[in-house]
Amino acid sequence: MKENTSNINLKRFFSNLKGDRLIWAIAALLAIFSFLPVYSAASNLAYVGGNTNTFSFLVKHFMHLFLGFSLMYLMHKVPYRYFRGLSMVMMPLAFVLLVVTIMQGTTIEGANASRWIRIPFVGMSFQTSTFASVVLMVYVARYMSKMKDKVISFKESILPLWLPVFLLLALILPSNFSTTAILFVMVAMLVFLGGYPIRYLIAMLGLGVVGLVMFVLVAKAFPDAMPNRVDTWMSRVENFSNGEDTEADYQIEKAKIAIASGGIKGLGPGKSMQKNFLPQSSSDFIFAIIVEEYGLIGGFFLIIMYMWLLFRIVIVAQKADTIFGKLLVLGVGLPIVFQAMINMAVAVELFPVTGQTLPLISSGGTSIWMTCLAIGIILSVSAKREEIKEQEVREDNPLEILSEAI
Amino acid sequence: MAVNEKNILNRLYFIAGCMFIFGLAVVFKLLTIQFVVGDEYRALAEKRTVKDVVIPANRGNVYSVKGNLLATSIPKYDIRIDAITPSTKTFQKFLKPLSDSLAAYSGKSSSYYQKEIKKARANKNRYYLLARDIGYSDYIRLRDFPMLNLGAYKGGLIVEQTTKREHPMGGISMRTIGYEREDDDGNITRAGIDGAFGELYLRGVDGHRLKQNIGKGQWKPIVDYNQVEPKDGYDVYTTIDVNVQDIAHHALLEQLELYDAEHGCVVVMEVKTGEIRAISNLAKSPSGTYYEKRNYAVWESHEPGSTFKLATYMAALEDKVVDTSTVIDTGNGVKTFYGKRVRDSRHGGYGKISVGRAFEVSSNIAIASILDDAYAKNPMKFINRLKQWGLNTKLDVSIIGEGDPVIYEPGDKDWSRNALPSMAYGYNLRLTPLQMLTFYNAVANDGEMVKPRFIKQVKELDKEIKVFEKEVRREKICSDATLGAVQAMLKNTVEKGTGRKLYSKYFSMAGKTGTAQTEYWMKGWKENPRYVSSFAGYFPAENPKYSCIVVIHKPSTKKGYYGADVSGPVFKKIARKIFTDTPIIDEIESLEVNNASVEEEFQDYYKIANTYKTIMPNVVGLPAMDAIALCENLGLKVKIEGVGVVTSQSIPKGQKVKKNQTIVLAV
Repeated sequence: MKENTSNINLKRFFSNLKGDRLIWAIAALLAIFSFLPVYSAASNLAYVGGNTNTFSFLVKHFMHLFLGFSLMYLMHKVPYRYFRGLSMVMMPLAFVLLVVTIMQGTTIEGANASRWIRIPFVGMSFQTSTFASVVLMVYVARYMSKMKDKVISFKESILPLWLPVFLLLALILPSNFSTTAILFVMVAMLVFLGGYPIRYLIAMLGLGVVGLVMFVLVAKAFPDAMPNRVDTWMSRVENFSNGEDTEADYQIEKAKIAIASGGIKGLGPGKSMQKNFLPQSSSDFIFAIIVEEYGLIGGFFLIIMYMWLLFRIVIVAQKADTIFGKLLVLGVGLPIVFQAMINMAVAVELFPVTGQTLPLISSGGTSIWMTCLAIGIILSVSAKREEIKEQEVREDNPLEILSEAI
Repeated sequence: MAVNEKNILNRLYFIAGCMFIFGLAVVFKLLTIQFVVGDEYRALAEKRTVKDVVIPANRGNVYSVKGNLLATSIPKYDIRIDAITPSTKTFQKFLKPLSDSLAAYSGKSSSYYQKEIKKARANKNRYYLLARDIGYSDYIRLRDFPMLNLGAYKGGLIVEQTTKREHPMGGISMRTIGYEREDDDGNITRAGIDGAFGELYLRGVDGHRLKQNIGKGQWKPIVDYNQVEPKDGYDVYTTIDVNVQDIAHHALLEQLELYDAEHGCVVVMEVKTGEIRAISNLAKSPSGTYYEKRNYAVWESHEPGSTFKLATYMAALEDKVVDTSTVIDTGNGVKTFYGKRVRDSRHGGYGKISVGRAFEVSSNIAIASILDDAYAKNPMKFINRLKQWGLNTKLDVSIIGEGDPVIYEPGDKDWSRNALPSMAYGYNLRLTPLQMLTFYNAVANDGEMVKPRFIKQVKELDKEIKVFEKEVRREKICSDATLGAVQAMLKNTVEKGTGRKLYSKYFSMAGKTGTAQTEYWMKGWKENPRYVSSFAGYFPAENPKYSCIVVIHKPSTKKGYYGADVSGPVFKKIARKIFTDTPIIDEIESLEVNNASVEEEFQDYYKIANTYKTIMPNVVGLPAMDAIALCENLGLKVKIEGVGVVTSQSIPKGQKVKKNQTIVLAV
């Protein structure tokens, strides 16, 4: 009897989950898998931090994921048409948060590293740029869908589209170049998808590069006036571009050692040695640690998972009933996969060192929450499609829905 | 431009395709790292994270013949403090107590330490030296000082252990005990016994242990055993006797100081076995003190002078050229051989004297004449004698750096007609003191020439690894007749010859003095003559136990330079000390002495006691203890009142008593 009721409860729980079940499954699999490398990396974090308890890292990670999945659940219950209006409201909020973050003036070794603000009372810190990215993508999706039937002129698009974009990017840039660059690429990709004329797009890309050069020059000219991380980026890019694997390129070398040590089957859970030397073993370089511990099998598993997620996002976009829905799904979905690819590319030295996390795997609250927020939005879009199907079929047959997966 | 679904989807496929290719690129890179450059990185991983740590083996000890420590390795500690590590709270709380403790330890003021450690913290000095080269007990003491007792992570304590070679005897015999030292270029200096046997026995085999880096500069062992266990070095037991060594060292030192000599050495050797009981080498430092600078006894080969006459006389006697009673005319003390003048030390010469007497007074002319007469036509006959005794070959002693002996022969560049008469009194040839002593020892040992030895055995704890036996160089160097003659001459030299100042009626010695000019080929020798004074011999004269040589270079000529004056007293002092230190053994059979009268009285008493077992004796006046024993032997029960001597007894004297009757004794 008891088993029956729990079965029924489980069924009821799953029936409450709307949207693409496979995206749910991928997110859950990644989340469950993430405990392994995070817990492994915790041993070194605890050791270096002079903390004797590794379990607290696990609990913290669980709390982040729990909050993230709650957020995902809430988001997918929200009909996606509301996001259109919400983005208009959230844009000013994102600006305010970014300005507040910059005003805090947190520095790491003299360089401007204001990325986080502390959430009052809760005592957790929060990376505002990640939140702003999601909001911006929704905002751009809204604009592009609004313009779907009109001929877009360059002049008209500047004020409602590019001005907010550049303002926001300018606020993120001083503290986090890589996020800015990725966000700019993602925005460009989204407006490209939204049918923005390619020649205008190229002009905007050019403008973006010019803006960046201006910023670097200003920062170089007045190094005291603006504590910045320009030197850090320069050295990172230089290290990458001169092609040699120099001693100075410490992190990449350790990451490659980790990958090489893993072999096909890996050293086994928790047996990573390089986690002791890789500085961001639980976030930026987690992919290297995963390959070291779980080998090529683990690495391929992750790549397949993200590719599968990409595939499901494309499907959901295809099936979405409105242009806004399509652009929304792509706007928040593709950055997840793109970021994952960037993270792995850094570990295998395909890309210069950036501070990008591996979505849903890396520890760190903001990254997890914003990824969950984005997935929640995607699910919300696919749930809408389901609703329409349901209305058509008027049958409570989940198999029917699964059959329409492709 | 209007947007339709188809348009979006086409662009989407393009983007998704790009991302997929990106993913493939990651996979490709991943495979490249794994399989193409994988080995290189795996090797790098090993190099960066695993290191082979050498666990040094404990070096063996060097012992004297009686088991006294001569050289041992002990741990020494450097104590430092990482002035950054302690928290501000800890630092403020414990700085004063720590400084107080350090002040009490070192004698410097507490405020000095407070200032210095504060300064170290301000300068971010993570390696501030508190004490260097301290012993284990001091290390334990410092470790418990406030702040330091919190350990490395909270208190900043840094302990570095090194192993130092210590010589418990200090400077005595340091050069012979020796050392093995490696400089920064990897050149190894091996001095003395420690150096000679370092590689073979003392050093041991270093262990190895693989350690893995676990970050923060910390290394942990990979497995709980050592890959190679260290094997401690063996202990080396030398032939050195600490007591004899002590005597030799101080006797030499005293004489060197007295004569302000440049350097000198003394070797004491056991006659029968060739074991070196003492070897001391002292040289003057620029500041005027003496220290063990070089192993002169083993290394320095020089013209021995008159001590060599033992060999030349022996050759002449053995070849029956002369006998001890042959009379030689030494003339007026100056004789010219092939244009070179030879002088005797006594002004006016010795005139006509016997060969035996010539030896005793050390006449140069006599022996030069004998050799020149006998061997001038066939010098090789004489040279071959010396070769037969091995005087031209090294002893191959274990200590590294033995000097080469030099005996010239016809055909050599340095050979001349004058060579033979010069060799007669110890010039034109070179020997080390140890080589000379070996020859004297052979005479003392009735012709058996044994090789000098410094090492007796090698042990691992109590287990014998190797025992070094006596090595014989020549079974019999000459006939007993010759031996008897030269032994008598050596004895007479001390009794009535050049060594008569050393004569003592309490103990006998035999030996030969030597006073050789040195550096005479240099300019200005006449104004500033330099000599080598030596004395070689053995004691006691009959059944000799030890042979000994003393060589002192360049004594101050203002004070004297004759072998008998400079070196002889060292020899005598050693002989006397050993003589007085040798106990005379006398046995006493038993400490129990039978006294006839006591025995008789006891028997009488015993008889009475057994006969009159039932009659009460008089116990008044006896000590209570004796009275009780007496009464109880009669079978009485004794009650006693008081302490001391019995004053009255309840059963009067002479009365018959029964068993278990009670008697009261008032005391």
